[in-house]
Amino acid sequence: MAHKIIFKPTFILNLKQQFTTTTTSQTHNISHCHFLHHPFFNIKIRPISLHSTTPITTTAAATANHGGYLDLTDDDLMRQCEMGTFKTSGPGGQHRNKRESAVRLKHLPTGIIAQAGEDRSQHMNRASAIKRLRSLIALKVRKTVDLDAYSPPRELLQILPPKSSIRGSDIGSQIGPNNPKFAMGMQALLDLIFAVDGSVSDAAKYLGLSTGALSRLILSDDSLRKEVNDLRASKRIRGIYWYSLWAQIQ
Amino acid sequence: MKLTLTNHNFSTLLNSSFINLTRPFCSLSLSSSLSSSTSIKPQVPIFLRPPIYSTKLNDLKKWHNWAKNIAFSIGSSFVQSDNGPDSTILCRELKWFIEDVVENHHSLFSQVGDDNEKVKMRADIEELYCLWKQRIEERKPFQYIVGCEHWKDLVLSVQEGVLIPRPETELIVDLVSDVVSKNEGLKRGVWADLGTGSGALAIGIGRVLGDGGKVIGSDLSPVAVAVAGYNVQRYSLQDKIELREGSWLEPLKDMEGKLAGLVSNPPYIPSKEIPVLQAEVGKHEPRVALDGGIDGMDALLHLCDGADLMLKPGGFFAFETNGEKQCRELVDYMKSNKSASLCNLEIFADFAGIQRFVIGFHR
Repeated sequence: MAHKIIFKPTFILNLKQQFTTTTTSQTHNISHCHFLHHPFFNIKIRPISLHSTTPITTTAAATANHGGYLDLTDDDLMRQCEMGTFKTSGPGGQHRNKRESAVRLKHLPTGIIAQAGEDRSQHMNRASAIKRLRSLIALKVRKTVDLDAYSPPRELLQILPPKSSIRGSDIGSQIGPNNPKFAMGMQALLDLIFAVDGSVSDAAKYLGLSTGALSRLILSDDSLRKEVNDLRASKRIRGIYWYSLWAQIQ
Repeated sequence: MKLTLTNHNFSTLLNSSFINLTRPFCSLSLSSSLSSSTSIKPQVPIFLRPPIYSTKLNDLKKWHNWAKNIAFSIGSSFVQSDNGPDSTILCRELKWFIEDVVENHHSLFSQVGDDNEKVKMRADIEELYCLWKQRIEERKPFQYIVGCEHWKDLVLSVQEGVLIPRPETELIVDLVSDVVSKNEGLKRGVWADLGTGSGALAIGIGRVLGDGGKVIGSDLSPVAVAVAGYNVQRYSLQDKIELREGSWLEPLKDMEGKLAGLVSNPPYIPSKEIPVLQAEVGKHEPRVALDGGIDGMDALLHLCDGADLMLKPGGFFAFETNGEKQCRELVDYMKSNKSASLCNLEIFADFAGIQRFVIGFHR
C-alpha cells in the first residue's frame, strides 16, 4: 500500500516504505537539545522538509492506515512532535510577563506544523494544537485508493448523511465536524476524492449519495472544502461553493 | 470555570466570602506550623467571587470601549521602553478580564440585546475602571488584576507579594512526572519545593505522585505561604501537601537524607538587571523572588548544598535557572564540589529553546 503525503495537490511525495521501531529520541514529549538547532519560530508555514524522505517512525500495526498517525493517542502523537513556543528574543523565565503561551507543534514524520495561541494556558493551547494537528494530518496525508475494489472504510461511512444508500443501519448516527472522529472520516473521503481527480459527482457514486448531498458534506467543514477546492483548482475544475449549490437546488 | 469543591471547609469559606469579600480566611485549616501566616488574608480571585453585582449592558459596553481605547493608545510604547506588552496583548488581556468578571460572558456582545438589560458581574463597574487604570498606568501585572494565573491545567490564585508562575516552570512538573513514572519509590516518597510561592510546583507535583507521596512546600514569605495554602485547599491536596514558613532549608531540618525529590524555581536574576526589568515584573513582583544576588547564583548554590544534604540515595532534583551560562556554571559547580553526592547531571532547554533547567540524582 502506497503512503503519500501531499502538500499541494500537484506535489506528491512518496514516503519510503521503511518502518523502524520508535527511537528513544522521539519518545520524550519535552524539548531536546537538537531542538535548539531548529530555530523555526518565525516561519509561518515551513515547506516540506527532508523529514518526509527519511524513514517514517511508526509501529508495524499502525502502517495499514496513512502511517496510523490518527490512530495514536494524543500522548503518542505528541511524542512524534517537536514543541516550541514563540518567544523569539529575551531571556524569558522570571524576566518576562507577557503571557506568551502560544504553542507550535511540528510533527516530525510528516513535517506538518500546527499551532495554537488563543487560550490563557500553554496546557490548553497544547491540546488545541494537537487537535489542529490531527485535522491537518487528515487533510494532508494521502493514501492511494484502488477504485475497482473500493469499499469505503467505516470511519468514512460514519460521517456520511443517513440517506447514503451504502450506509448500513449498524453505522450509527452521523458524525459531524465537531466530533474528534470526523478527522479520520475526512481523511478517507479526501483519499477517494483525490482518486477520482476531484470529481464530486464520481465520488458521490462510490458513496451512494447524490452530488448535492456530498457537496453539502464537503461544505460542512471549512478546511475540507478548501482542500477539495484546491485540488479542483489544480485540475481546472470549478470549485464548490454554497451559492453554486444553491443554484443547483433552485 | 470548573471547580471541584469537595472540601467542606472550603465551601464554607466560599459562602462566607459571598457575604463579605474581605473576611479573613479563618476556616483555612493549614498545618500548625503556620501560626504567623494565619493573620494573612489571601485575596479571592475575581473569577471565584459571587456574581452579586448588576450593571446595565450599556454601562459595561461603555467601560469596554474606554478600556479598549486605552489599550490601543499604548501602541508599542511599552515594548519600546522595557519590552512590555503591546496593544494586541493588552486587548487579549481585556478579553480575559471580561471572561473572569462577567458571569455570562459568552453571549455578551454578540447578541443584539437591550442596552438596559442587566448583566451579572463578579466586580463592581467602578472597580473595573479602577483595575484597568492600574493595569495601564501602574503597569500592574494582569494576573494581579484578576488575582489568578492559568498554569498547566490549574488556575492558581496570585496576589501582590507572590511570584506569578511562569509557563517555563511547567516543564519541571513534566520532568518529575517522567522520573516518578519509572520509579515507584520516588513516586511514594516525600518531595520538597523550596520557595514555593503560589504553590504551583508543589501542587503540580502533588498531583503526579502516587499514594503515600507527599510534598513539603516552603517559603520565606508569609503571604506566599497563605496564598499557596489557599491554592492547595482549592485542589483538595491538603492531605498531600504541607506548607512550612521559612528560608530555604531551614524549615526542612527534620528531612535530612530523607527526601525523594527536591525542586525549586529560586530567584536567579542578577541584581544589576532588576532595575531594568519589564515594569510588570520589576515594579510589582516580589524582589525576594527574583533577585539572585550579584551573579544571580546565590540561591542556586545554596540549593546544591540542599540537594547534597536533603536527598536520600537515588533522590532526584530539578532547578530552574536564568538560562544558558547559569546552567553551565551550576553544573560545573556541582561537578567540582558535589561529585561525591550528585550525579547524572543534565541540562534541559525550555520550550523557547533556552537551556533552562539543571537536573540530576543523588548517588
